Amino acid sequence: MHLIKTTDLAVYAGNVELLQPLSLTLNKGERLTILGQTGSGKSLLAQAIMGNLSESLHCEGNVELFGKSRSLSERKALWGRQLTLLPQEPWNALSPLMTARNQLKETYRLVRGLAESAARTRTEEDLNQFELQAGADKRVDQLSGGMAQRVAITCAMAGGAQVLLADEPTKGLDISRRDHVVGQLKAQAADGVLLTITHDVAVARQTGGRVMVMKDGVLLEEGLAEDVLSTPQHPYTRALISADPAKWWQPPRQVFPEDSEALISARQLTVGRGDQALVSGLNFTVHPGEVVGVVGDSGCGKSTLGDTLLGLIPPHSGLVDRQKGISAHHWQKLYQDPTAAVSHAVPLNVLLTDLVQLHNLDATSVPALMARLGLSETLLQRTASEVSGGELQRFCLLRILLLKPVFLFADEPTSRLDPVTTREVSQLLVDLAREQGCAVMLVSHDPMLIEKRCDRVIQLSA
Amino acid sequence: MRERTLMNARGLGLLLLTVLCVYSFGTSFLFAGDGNSQNLNHILSIPNAEFLLGTDHFGRNMWLRLADALQLSLFLALACVLTSVVTGVILGVLAATRGGWIDRLIDMLVTLIMALPGLVLVMIFASIAPGSLLVLYIAIALIQWVEYFRLTRAVIQRVDTSPAVESSRLMGFGLWYLFRRHYWPVLAPQLLTLAAFGAANAVLMMASLGFVYVGIQPPTAELGQMIVELFPYYQEAPWLLAQPLLALALLVLAFHLCGRRGADAPD
Amino acid sequence: MTQLLFKRLLQLLGVAWGVSTLTFLLMRSLPGDMAYRIAAGRYGMDAVDTTSADLVRAELGLDQGPFRAYLQWFSDLLTGNLGNSLVSGMPVVDELWHMLSHSFYLAMAGVVLSMLIAVPLGVATAWWGGWFDRLMLTLSTLMRALPVFVTGLLVIILFALELQWFPVAGFGSVSHLVLPAIALGLSLAAVSNRVVHNEARKVMQSPFFEFARTKGLSNWQVLYRHGVRNLAVPVVAFMGIQLIMLVEGVVMIESLFSWPGVGHGLAHAIFARDIPVIQGAALMMGILFVLLNTAVDIACYCLDPRGGRLQ
Repeated sequence: MHLIKTTDLAVYAGNVELLQPLSLTLNKGERLTILGQTGSGKSLLAQAIMGNLSESLHCEGNVELFGKSRSLSERKALWGRQLTLLPQEPWNALSPLMTARNQLKETYRLVRGLAESAARTRTEEDLNQFELQAGADKRVDQLSGGMAQRVAITCAMAGGAQVLLADEPTKGLDISRRDHVVGQLKAQAADGVLLTITHDVAVARQTGGRVMVMKDGVLLEEGLAEDVLSTPQHPYTRALISADPAKWWQPPRQVFPEDSEALISARQLTVGRGDQALVSGLNFTVHPGEVVGVVGDSGCGKSTLGDTLLGLIPPHSGLVDRQKGISAHHWQKLYQDPTAAVSHAVPLNVLLTDLVQLHNLDATSVPALMARLGLSETLLQRTASEVSGGELQRFCLLRILLLKPVFLFADEPTSRLDPVTTREVSQLLVDLAREQGCAVMLVSHDPMLIEKRCDRVIQLSA
Repeated sequence: MRERTLMNARGLGLLLLTVLCVYSFGTSFLFAGDGNSQNLNHILSIPNAEFLLGTDHFGRNMWLRLADALQLSLFLALACVLTSVVTGVILGVLAATRGGWIDRLIDMLVTLIMALPGLVLVMIFASIAPGSLLVLYIAIALIQWVEYFRLTRAVIQRVDTSPAVESSRLMGFGLWYLFRRHYWPVLAPQLLTLAAFGAANAVLMMASLGFVYVGIQPPTAELGQMIVELFPYYQEAPWLLAQPLLALALLVLAFHLCGRRGADAPD
Repeated sequence: MTQLLFKRLLQLLGVAWGVSTLTFLLMRSLPGDMAYRIAAGRYGMDAVDTTSADLVRAELGLDQGPFRAYLQWFSDLLTGNLGNSLVSGMPVVDELWHMLSHSFYLAMAGVVLSMLIAVPLGVATAWWGGWFDRLMLTLSTLMRALPVFVTGLLVIILFALELQWFPVAGFGSVSHLVLPAIALGLSLAAVSNRVVHNEARKVMQSPFFEFARTKGLSNWQVLYRHGVRNLAVPVVAFMGIQLIMLVEGVVMIESLFSWPGVGHGLAHAIFARDIPVIQGAALMMGILFVLLNTAVDIACYCLDPRGGRLQ
């Protein structure tokens, strides 16, 4: 028997079609992954099946659940008990003022309808099973991201639903936590149905089952995961797969002798914010023109290291030696979120002119650099709010490179970009820095990306 | 949709404000006569060709009096808002960017001023120099700059930690640049909202004081005081009481509408 | 939190200092021979002579240099000696105590009424939206444009003069409380119902509200278990902000309805230049204002241990 069957399910905002009519069927025990970049309309599919589209949207077509066509209110009656949706960002989805334990218990008590004592027993069992006892009496703001993720998944499951929709369940997670979550989802959905929505090819590969590739609300390709991911037919699927850092071409690494002139050297360095030390005992040297990768789990002090090296915050203890006689604006930083890193008040070309005037830069070198970065004059007439994240990050890079930096700390510069853009931007970043002889410290949560882009790697661990 | 209702609210507020300004300032130029001269032969007359809004219990021309009162309110609101915005923003920038003892000193002053409800403070000031417009203005501005200071300081402190400002600093830009490109664009719309509500509040303060007889002294025309004066004649001449009431409400409404943002509550 | 409480303590001292300094200035700035005026106020115009004026002079320290007089004035205040009313001759503390209880009834009635209006209305408009929301938004905007004393006047005209359901003004029975409380409550609710609305919308559109629904709780369960407390935090914090409006409203409404509270006392004292009462009333209001603010701080902290007051 099929548990989910949609017939020509489409989503509209007014007259604009956001999701093309889509038909799919999922039988008991099956897994389906919808793969596509952010903004490709795939999240709407889960909401349309679930029946919780926002008020400004409406859907057409038919949704059958458990072999019967269901209206919106009939679907709402199934929520939690038979049909459940895993939230995108669990740290926002958990109730902010209630402890993890109570959020789980209320689900057993009120959704499952268990008696108080039974609900308590089941809650404790779950907390033990998913190693959540340590965080059971904490609020979501006191939990780590991974723990919040597990609490949210456990809550979503506690109602006993067999049909599981997961919308970007691994967004913002490190690789180790991502693998863990995918494993948990597969185990939970063993007797039911798992519909996963993701932009991450690795998640699709791990989940297995069937894959549908979507772009701009249009279905491009579908089939078994191993077939689609190993022999993709559609050019877009191929681009998506080749954007996976594991597939990138790796240039030869440059080796800098230890005794050559150092740009920055750290000795017995401990960095931290406020009173809290994050990483200690760091000893390393960065040479002019070198590309050094920095990896480590989130919250381990990667950004703090950068701020310390740039002199924005003082070291906790130990020494940072920066080469003398280089003026301050040659030490630069590229930010994780480009939209937060520039002023939105004026068009980009005004920001550019500001910089050229401030340092009396050679304006004639701008067009060539813009061409290299794929930035057009017309694009620069818009404000930061009106361009895409990838374009803005390239603009940030343009401003930095104009300053002829000697050192650039790039703090996860691609983590907010989609895979295809990530490949382009990280390539440009490294190439242009090498041409200018600028040393780069590239931070990423993705070890594979660092592996392919850097001369060597500094591994941070708390 | 939301955008449009917002524009409508602002537009309506500006329109109302313009009408009130044109009426009150235009009257000074176009109409001869004095809102304070009494004419006991024409008391409580209903609106007619000679007295467009009728006359009050002393036979004073209500059209002229109401224009005078509105002018006074508008003038006070403008003066208070300008003074307190300039003071508040300058001190706010100073406190947020310099920090240290300047910040602590101003913060202490703010704490002190905020310890007393504004109206009570203004009332005490008003009692020191009864009927003085200058003291009223000083008292209201003294209370109101605090709001702009707090807003400016909070906004700058928040924006200051943003990557955008850090990046501009790393690139070598100075304080004036940071203010122009980063602080001001975030601050300006919120200041505008606060200023509109501040103007409404200044008008209300003066009217409230007039209403409890401790504000501007008669015979100067002032909205709050006109309301009290005319209330006893409510039975005989309800249209007279309605005039200052309506004028006050429309003026406050105009300011409130001008200050409307996406959300309709002050933040 | 400790820092906040310390700040509040500083405010208490500040209120005492500020009020006493201002009233001292007020006393010094009065035209004519202060002692004569006060004596006249106290014993009647005919009974004033140099002896009685000198007595007053000595009592109030008017014969000392300004600095010493100021110190005397401030230390009197710190020891709780607020003096006697220049009008009635009664100790100011006793008078204030009576006024305070009356103000308290009015303020409580106003706040309770405003919450009874604002909370259901704010939540209902947030839940249903549409024309109902737009209607309430328009009504609230219009209502807000009316100063509290205008609302009071309109309430008097409608319910006391035209319908004659309640007495115009005065004090004594519950029916006297009805109109002032309605005027105050309506004025407060005009603002707070929109704040409740905005905060309720924020909560209802939040991912955690959505998740609580998709995990299977019914609408009422979600509202009750995940809406109320998260909504209560900003609403209580807003009540702290609205305290200013409450105190100012109480002053105006008391004056309008001749309600014998602190606000009425203050306005009267200012009109009659009864300096000890001005000082006492202003001081009382300041202290209460700070204490109530502290109560709001503590309530917010208990409701939301994450970070205290949201401003």
